Amino acid sequence: MTLAPHRGTDPSSGTERSSVPAAGAVPRRLGTGPQPWVMAAAVAVAVAGAALGLNGVLRGWAWYSPVFTTVLAVTVSMAMLRSVRAPAWLVAAGGLAALILDLTFTFFRQHSIAGIIPSPETLNYLGKFLRRASETVLAESTPVAPNAGIVMLICAVLGLLVILIDALAFRLALPATSGLAILAILVVPAMVKPQSVGVLGFVGAAAGYLFILACSHWFAPDAGTRADTARNPGQLRRAAVTAAMALAVTLLLQPVIPGFDQGTFPQGSRLNPFGGATGLNPMISLGSSLRSPSGAGRITFSTNAPTTPYLRSVTVDSFDGDSWAPDDRDSTRQQGTDRIDSGLDTVATQSRVTTAVNTGQYTSPYLPAPYAPESISGLTGRWSWDPATLSIKGVDTNSRDQQYVVTSVTPRLTAALLARATEPVRGIPEQFLRQPSNVPEIVRTTADSVTAGAVTPYARAMAIQKYLRSLEFTYSLQSPVQGGYDGNGLSVLADFLTVKSGYCIHFASAMAVMARLEGIPSRIAVGYAPGRSTGTTVAVSGQGPLPEFEVDARDAHAWPELYFQGIGWVPFEPTPSRGVVPAYAMAASTPSGASTNERNDALTPGGRSSAAAAPTAAPVPLPGAAAPASGNAIPAQAFYGVGAALLLALLVASPRLVRGGVRRRRLRTADRRGSGAAPASALPAWAELRDLATDYGVGPLASETPRHFFQRLRASAALGEPGDGPGQRAAAALTEDFEREKYGRPSGAGGTGGSGGRGGNPESANPAGSAAARIALVQDSLRAHAKPLVRLRAEWLPPSVMSGWRRALPRRVPAGTAQRTRRWIAGVWGQIRNTARRVRRG
Amino acid sequence: MDAEAFRSASTRILAAINTVIDGKAEAAQLALTVLLAQGHLLLEDVPGVGKTLLAKTLARTIDCTVSRIQFTPDLLPSDVTGVSIYNQATRSFEFRHGAVFANIVIGDEINRASAKTQSALLECMEEHQVTVDGTSYRLDEPFMVVATQNPIEMEGTYPLPEAQRDRFMARISMGYPDRESEMEMLETHQASSPLARVTAVVTAAEVAAMILTVQQVYVSRSIKEYTVALGRATRESGLLRLGASPRSMLQLLRAAKATAALDGRDFVLPDDVVSVAEAVLAHRIILDRKAASVGETPQSVIRAIIAKIPVTPEVAASAGRPRRGQAPAMAAEPSKQPNPR
Repeated sequence: MTLAPHRGTDPSSGTERSSVPAAGAVPRRLGTGPQPWVMAAAVAVAVAGAALGLNGVLRGWAWYSPVFTTVLAVTVSMAMLRSVRAPAWLVAAGGLAALILDLTFTFFRQHSIAGIIPSPETLNYLGKFLRRASETVLAESTPVAPNAGIVMLICAVLGLLVILIDALAFRLALPATSGLAILAILVVPAMVKPQSVGVLGFVGAAAGYLFILACSHWFAPDAGTRADTARNPGQLRRAAVTAAMALAVTLLLQPVIPGFDQGTFPQGSRLNPFGGATGLNPMISLGSSLRSPSGAGRITFSTNAPTTPYLRSVTVDSFDGDSWAPDDRDSTRQQGTDRIDSGLDTVATQSRVTTAVNTGQYTSPYLPAPYAPESISGLTGRWSWDPATLSIKGVDTNSRDQQYVVTSVTPRLTAALLARATEPVRGIPEQFLRQPSNVPEIVRTTADSVTAGAVTPYARAMAIQKYLRSLEFTYSLQSPVQGGYDGNGLSVLADFLTVKSGYCIHFASAMAVMARLEGIPSRIAVGYAPGRSTGTTVAVSGQGPLPEFEVDARDAHAWPELYFQGIGWVPFEPTPSRGVVPAYAMAASTPSGASTNERNDALTPGGRSSAAAAPTAAPVPLPGAAAPASGNAIPAQAFYGVGAALLLALLVASPRLVRGGVRRRRLRTADRRGSGAAPASALPAWAELRDLATDYGVGPLASETPRHFFQRLRASAALGEPGDGPGQRAAAALTEDFEREKYGRPSGAGGTGGSGGRGGNPESANPAGSAAARIALVQDSLRAHAKPLVRLRAEWLPPSVMSGWRRALPRRVPAGTAQRTRRWIAGVWGQIRNTARRVRRG
Repeated sequence: MDAEAFRSASTRILAAINTVIDGKAEAAQLALTVLLAQGHLLLEDVPGVGKTLLAKTLARTIDCTVSRIQFTPDLLPSDVTGVSIYNQATRSFEFRHGAVFANIVIGDEINRASAKTQSALLECMEEHQVTVDGTSYRLDEPFMVVATQNPIEMEGTYPLPEAQRDRFMARISMGYPDRESEMEMLETHQASSPLARVTAVVTAAEVAAMILTVQQVYVSRSIKEYTVALGRATRESGLLRLGASPRSMLQLLRAAKATAALDGRDFVLPDDVVSVAEAVLAHRIILDRKAASVGETPQSVIRAIIAKIPVTPEVAASAGRPRRGQAPAMAAEPSKQPNPR
């Protein structure tokens, strides 16, 4: 190339010349290749994939399309900016702008400028949306309905996470750390959903994460591992092996190791991120409370009631078709708790009971009180009560550290009295009677068949209770979690009636729904079953010393209340082995006499505790046996145990198995080839000889000639005394065959003058026939002359296999990391030692 | 020539040499190897260890023409190659053959001659012909120059130029005989020269046939790869200022073929290459000054390189289990810093 033609031409050619490189530079400047787009796709896959796990936190899938659009909008805009080589801050700012525009367009189209640009009005609505979202988070149990507020919040958070992950993975070149941001998405379903993240969310997030790692490795290989880039097929295999092993360990170890029912995250219980851990969130958190191994949220109370009363906290009465939820009816609540209208009809004679309650650390907006409260004194803060349900709720306060005295009235109900209550129901809100629209068939048929023949509402209620308390049903805190029907929806109910195993919430909601189907108004009370005596007495003003009782999270309970015209709301107890069946609800034929007010911690999770077996069920074997019934527990345990043993055995034997497999394959190849005219039969046999020698510690060096290796092998004691034993002869024959095949004239080409070379050592050319026989001779000889430890290693941890595996492992730990870790460990160890010394010296 | 005849001929030659020179079987074998590989031999050592004796014995065992040139500072090139002189009778120039016209030429103390005379040997050694006054004369086959020289540190020597050193296939240092051999020598050689008793054991035709046999020895691809890897390693080694030339690679292979044939094989093993590598390569490479100062020798560098280059990198791979990190051979040799030239 020469510049001569341009020299001395007119100025126009000068501009032309300068424009040529400029034109050439434009594509180079813009052309960053597919990198930004592939990386954006990786981030989008990760975030959108992890968001799949939110299904179940939010009901249905309608929320996913705005989420997906948001993620897409942000990633695409950032990729676009990056592809034109915008500076890093501009990329992030662009992503943020895209997020704001997208959110505005999706949620505030009516209240913005031109549909996409936020205006003051938008901010106004944003506040409303955020309030709604926080209400949803605080008040509703999962799965929540996807209202605009919560969906907008999720979109915004995910959009910000996209920007964060992008910055972490590609700008800051910390792709592995970006996993934390993805994990942040998964934490929500992991904590909130009883079924945890779920397969879809996990797979989506994992795929996206791997995609991000692969992208960063592909486009910006680490300088330290440059020699070993992803283009190297060995790397892919190493990665696959590592991932497979991690997955196998995760999946196989978890069921085998006992103890997953204790600790911070006992099986089936999740962290409760909303509200205090001691609060009694209606419905869903009940299961978690019951499963919690420690008795948190202890409440003590003393009462003059003849039988220990249930403490009732909140009523769950609104059944919107999918799940039960409390209805606060804030508009009809009445302020003040000095006088509460219990609303009980005066058919039955009533008795008044005084109860002094100390809530301690228990934190909830609702106040626990025996039913039906008439007046409460001693409270701090403002409280309100609901005439329909008599639930007492704090206006600007909560139940923490409250000490109060409740006066409650209890009607003296009898079976005869209830049996007479046959009049049609009137005068109560319609919602207590509302039937869900899409009741599963099994619920309806069960209700109908159970109540067949019962005439009065009371008889029907008793029939339902009897059915639920029958021996068919077992009380289990674990099986709903394992069966995936932990919750309070209608589908859950169907599952419960099929499996016939669950805990109070399932029994209570089953009875409530069935009662409504049979025309009896119903609601579910949530509170505490009668607790245990603390053995002390408390002086209550005007009452003298009263016996004290305590309840905690393990006593959390739910029970149905049914309405009978002329009598009022009457509690029932369909849950076997829990609570106390009231006298009026005890039928002669009901096997409920066994029900006790026993401690719940006697009911070990997983223990079979039918009504009849409950009292003797205390010494339950094998805590943590995660099976719905003890009948299956032992086989399951044994199955896992055997599986673990097999796994362990396989792990231990795998080098040996691999080695044996390699040997068989080689010898098969050698003999098959050896029988035909095909060449190269000696090569696999030779490789086997080398590996055998390696296994017994006399392996060949890379720079060693085959003959030299053989001579060294013969001179060493590995094959016995240096000499001419059968092992040596076999090895010599193998070496000679290998040399001839590897370096000799290809057979068929024919040797002209060198036939003498072929017959160089005729007696060793074929001493023992096949390659397999020779290898066996060598192996026997090696084994016979090896020390026991060497023999053991050669057979169970053959170095020829182990070295290959070592190579398959990720080879390089960054030197800095290793050093830092070493230093850290040394430092910690030094501190421990110093502390121990100080303690010894006193 | 069949293998049996080859073996018998080579055995006879070596036995004859061994009757004359005690305890130098390796040197004798190498000398025969070079003869059969059609190379030239450089015997380098201090005076009086039997360099000339070995050359003479080798020549005497073969029934062929032998000439001996004692190189001195006043030796002229025409003394080596021959000269055209005017014949009064025929009134024309006629060529009088020089000393080089023989099957085996013994150049004694070659580094005592001037560079001009030394270089007269160049064409003869490489092309097996002599050109005088524009006329080329073919030399007889087999043709072999066996030169002896004193180490260059000795007085009154002209070091052989690199180009000429490169033309010798192998260099052998005789070394002192061991105690027993020296005693034996004193016992037997006192009365008369043992050389007198040596008679020719093979004919020139037999040697030519043996050379043909050597040429037909098979060299597999992996041997060639190994040879090339060795050569490249010498060029990339940081210890060397000058590595082995491509010509030396050719000569290495030819020497390996002769070694294989002498071992009774019709194919070359890596062992053959290894066994002659030091003799073939050591006199061609030049040590880096730093390496020389820390006591490295060309021989030690060659040995280190041999100890590093994998011989059969693909053995395991061909047996079905790929072994990472070893294939291919050239990549396995870590390239050192380029030679500062």
